[in-house]
Amino acid sequence: MSCPRTQHLLKEYFSDELSMITKEKIEAHVAACEYCRAELSDILGAKKVLEGWQQQKVPHWDRGSELFRREYGKTDQHLTFWEKIRWQLMPTTASLLMLLLFLFNIQLSSDQDGFTVSFGPSAVSTFYLENELQILDEMQAAELEGAIRELEVRQDSQNMELLQAVIYQNQQDTLTSLERIYNLFEEQRLRDLEDMRIGYQQLMDSDYETLRSLRQLAQFVSYQEQGF
Amino acid sequence: MHLIDEDTALVDAALKGSAHAWEKLVRRYEDRIYNQGLRLTGSRSDAMDLMQEVFLGVYRNLHRFRGDAKFSSWIFRIAHNKAIDMKRRKRLMPFVSQSGDHEGDLLDNFPGHSSLEAEEVFSEYENNKAILSILSQLPMHQRLIVELKIFQSQTFEDIASIQEVSVNTVKTRFYSALKKLKTILEEKNVLS
Repeated sequence: MSCPRTQHLLKEYFSDELSMITKEKIEAHVAACEYCRAELSDILGAKKVLEGWQQQKVPHWDRGSELFRREYGKTDQHLTFWEKIRWQLMPTTASLLMLLLFLFNIQLSSDQDGFTVSFGPSAVSTFYLENELQILDEMQAAELEGAIRELEVRQDSQNMELLQAVIYQNQQDTLTSLERIYNLFEEQRLRDLEDMRIGYQQLMDSDYETLRSLRQLAQFVSYQEQGF
Repeated sequence: MHLIDEDTALVDAALKGSAHAWEKLVRRYEDRIYNQGLRLTGSRSDAMDLMQEVFLGVYRNLHRFRGDAKFSSWIFRIAHNKAIDMKRRKRLMPFVSQSGDHEGDLLDNFPGHSSLEAEEVFSEYENNKAILSILSQLPMHQRLIVELKIFQSQTFEDIASIQEVSVNTVKTRFYSALKKLKTILEEKNVLS
């Protein structure tokens, strides 16, 4: 089994700048053609085997540097004077700059108007600093006052909340106490009623006994009177 | 800085005599060229010889390098030509007969080197040994095209320029090389 289009299509398959249409056409054919699919799978497998190569490090060698130096003579001959001393210049320049800063007492300050560079101690700066200090003091005082006011307001608010909470708690406590007293009185009243009922019953029983005794006594008296 | 721009900058600096730039340029490509040499020769010594020849060629022709082409394409063109020259001189990696032990033949036949050295070189790299055995069975023109396309990721246009053939010929050669590889792997039962 073979396909007349295999070579042409698979040859194009590995092209670097395959257009979308061509790619889709190839993929459609490969999906439909069993032979081309198997062929593509095999050659991709072969490619993958090669891609398993493990990169090996180069043994040490002089990289042709000797030859290079010999051909060019001293390498630095081709550099300009400034290129040659470029690296040596950097620390020297930095040291010189620091020395200048120290010797001339150069000051760099910034304010609302921008940066100011001044040399040596400045008399103008004393008045300016005092002024700045006073402004700073005033600002700090104002900020402190504001903060205290805010604290007081916050404190009042907290106190009110605390008072309300206490009152509410007291109300709740009072209600609970009254309810408890009411319950105590109610219990006492019920107990008294029960005692009264029992007393009344005892009284009734006692009265009944008295009546019976009186009746017996009357009968006895009547009997005695009949006897005499 | 883009890699291609960096190559160009290094070439410019090297042309002005900077040994540092030259070394940096060599370091950027030495691994790739050395491994290319290993794949084409199968021998560490020959790979080193080839790599040194390539960089000597680069050095001698550095002034001819034009920034309009990629430095990588240019150096691979030199490597390609040096490999062909070396093949002519030494009959590199003679093709192994289809019968017999391919791997043994391959290792024995690296020019000027015993199988012992090849074994030592590749003992840590079993994959590489197998790949060399496969590559050795490809004709030189196919091996070079596989090298440039698969290992050096060159475009067909670049390869066509290096080999001085049409892009279509390169595509045909590459496809033929892959088919040949497929057959070799099937014979070795790597592909089922």
